[in-house]
Amino acid sequence: MTREIRVYGLSHHGTPVSVRERLASGEHRVIDDLGRLVDGGALDEGVLLSTCNRVEVVATTSDAREARRQVLGYFNQRAAPERVESYVYEYDGLEAVKHLFRVASGLDSMVLGEPQILGQVKEAYATATKVGSTGTLLSRCFDRSFKVAKRVRSETGLAAGNVSISSIACELAEKIFGDLVRRRVLLVGAGKMSEAAARSLTARGAELTVVNRNPERARSLAEACGGRPRPLEALATELAEADVVISSTAKEGYVITHELMQGVVKMRKFRQLFLIDIAVPRDIDPRVDGLRNVFLYDMDDLKRVSHANMSARERAASDAEAIIGQEVAEYGKWLDSLELTPTIVALRNRVREVVLREKDKALPRLGSLDARQAKALNGLCESIVNQLLHAPLTRLKQDSSSGEPGDGMALVEAVQELFALDVDTPGRAAPDPSKSRAAAGERESMAEASSELATAESRARRS
Amino acid sequence: MGLLTLIFSLTGLAYAASCGLFFVHLTRGKESAVRGGTRLLAAAIATHAAYLAGDFLLENRDPTADIYQVLVLLSLLISVAFLLSMRRARLSVLGAFITPIALVLFLSAGLRGSVPPVPEGVRSALLPVHIAVNVLGIVAFALAFATAVAYVIQEKLLRSKQVVGTFQRLPSLDVLDSFGLKLVTIGFPLFTLGMVSGSFWAVKLGGDPTHLTTGQGFAVLAWVFFAGVLLSRAAAGWRGRRAAIGTMLGFLCSLAALGGYLLRSAGGS
Repeated sequence: MTREIRVYGLSHHGTPVSVRERLASGEHRVIDDLGRLVDGGALDEGVLLSTCNRVEVVATTSDAREARRQVLGYFNQRAAPERVESYVYEYDGLEAVKHLFRVASGLDSMVLGEPQILGQVKEAYATATKVGSTGTLLSRCFDRSFKVAKRVRSETGLAAGNVSISSIACELAEKIFGDLVRRRVLLVGAGKMSEAAARSLTARGAELTVVNRNPERARSLAEACGGRPRPLEALATELAEADVVISSTAKEGYVITHELMQGVVKMRKFRQLFLIDIAVPRDIDPRVDGLRNVFLYDMDDLKRVSHANMSARERAASDAEAIIGQEVAEYGKWLDSLELTPTIVALRNRVREVVLREKDKALPRLGSLDARQAKALNGLCESIVNQLLHAPLTRLKQDSSSGEPGDGMALVEAVQELFALDVDTPGRAAPDPSKSRAAAGERESMAEASSELATAESRARRS
Repeated sequence: MGLLTLIFSLTGLAYAASCGLFFVHLTRGKESAVRGGTRLLAAAIATHAAYLAGDFLLENRDPTADIYQVLVLLSLLISVAFLLSMRRARLSVLGAFITPIALVLFLSAGLRGSVPPVPEGVRSALLPVHIAVNVLGIVAFALAFATAVAYVIQEKLLRSKQVVGTFQRLPSLDVLDSFGLKLVTIGFPLFTLGMVSGSFWAVKLGGDPTHLTTGQGFAVLAWVFFAGVLLSRAAAGWRGRRAAIGTMLGFLCSLAALGGYLLRSAGGS
């Protein structure tokens, strides 16, 4: 039975947050859960990816039914009392590889092209490596997924342009002021979004002042964001000093009026001021935008930027899909080669074994041979092996390296069948299904097989 | 085609191609375009220098021989100054504004007609100094002009909320404003020295200091604009759009002053 990569998961595509939040795990929990999953016996290798938007088990198994049962059992246990069967999606073979590549590249994310997911996939793989639940297939698959994600980022515009309001606020502030270190950010009122934007700006080195009608609220917000509180009465003075103002009050009518800003602009002389009005209804009189060196962006403006960037990402998504298609095909070819290498080694061993056995049988009849004659006989045997195998091996390799992944496998399987070759590869089920946590020796055995094959090829070329 | 004409054509082509690539970088944000543009600009500078050297060695014309030679020298120095400042200030995107200036100044030297050389009586030790300080001043103003154009575009984009799509590689307003001011501060004393030395020289040759030619008139106007930019900055904190427009007008006047000299030379007066 062929061992193949499978993905079982639940994500923001169709799974309600009430279920996802039950399944989300921290690193320690992931280590325990992954250990238990692999110890269950059906998974040969496994990686558990757990974020707020998705929980996925990427595994290799030769017993798909049992693996499914165990993974669903795990999901149901975590989501209890909810049942997850109707939410779970499942991919196998190259579809699973494609899914992983899409996830790592941000194509399957809630916010298309968001970069955090790559870090989360890397973290999940690192944790699995720590647990010892990765082997040849998953290691290669994850390594490849990181490279694919990097390629997608550098060759397409999938991750270009910010789409979150706070990132856009920072980007615009940087377009005006460049470096934000020691720039003064004034937060007027409170609100989750304005707080997030203020935090993003202060994370870039800006200094924060919080003005609020409620002094208590101003103090607590300033403490939480590392700023200083000021009463609402100090608004005009603070506006004169600020570089960036984020306003988000619940007040009806304008908090920052045109008249107020006219006075402020005079005090500021010609210094630029960037005003961000996140409040609905608006806090800042839109006429302020016409004042000298004042730039005003309201919620609609910020959303327009976000939508434009998102549209650009959507246009880039088809390029990203094309890259992923190429990379999946490459991975498929590598999978095929995993089957091919041990088959070639086994075939060569089988033929050599026959030739040497016949040579040993003939030796007594030849009488005593001197060193030169013995060397010539050995050379003859090697030459027979190499010449006999040259054409079939060339054909096998040609078939596996051309066409679609999997095309050359029919011939490989035919050779295995015809010559009764007992081949154990990472892409095949082991004869003894007793599972170890990870096929730790697989890389070494594959390396040995490849090295033996290279030696044999060089011999064939010489003969 | 003579060797110098060939080098002249190659230089012009390299400038034009470099200009195209910098423009692609500005509008489409392609990094490969800026690398190509920079390499082509470096190649243009090399052939440009070869052209000047060839002119000096083969035609025995030094870079201060006439106004056309001065233009060739000026465009070379503008390109070199840009290449150096671009590395320091990461302002490669300004190449889209600088390379056309260098190209136009360089090509205008190709209009060279039968210009009479500077009369012996006019030649003095002061002439190279007068030309050098003026040229260096205008080099700084040319870079300041490109910076000011970028500032005006960036400000316009931010005001009209066009912050996605083309021209997104422009530096921040603050960087452009500071860099522009620095350049005007460097260029202004040099240009002033050029004007003072020019007046001194003109008076010494018996000219009337109260009578200005068109070129001199524009030079005075350019000086007034740049002085205005610096003074209003120091006195009233002028910056941003107004300073950028003042800088642009100042540079255009200094170009017009050069144009005046060109016309005068072409007319032989």
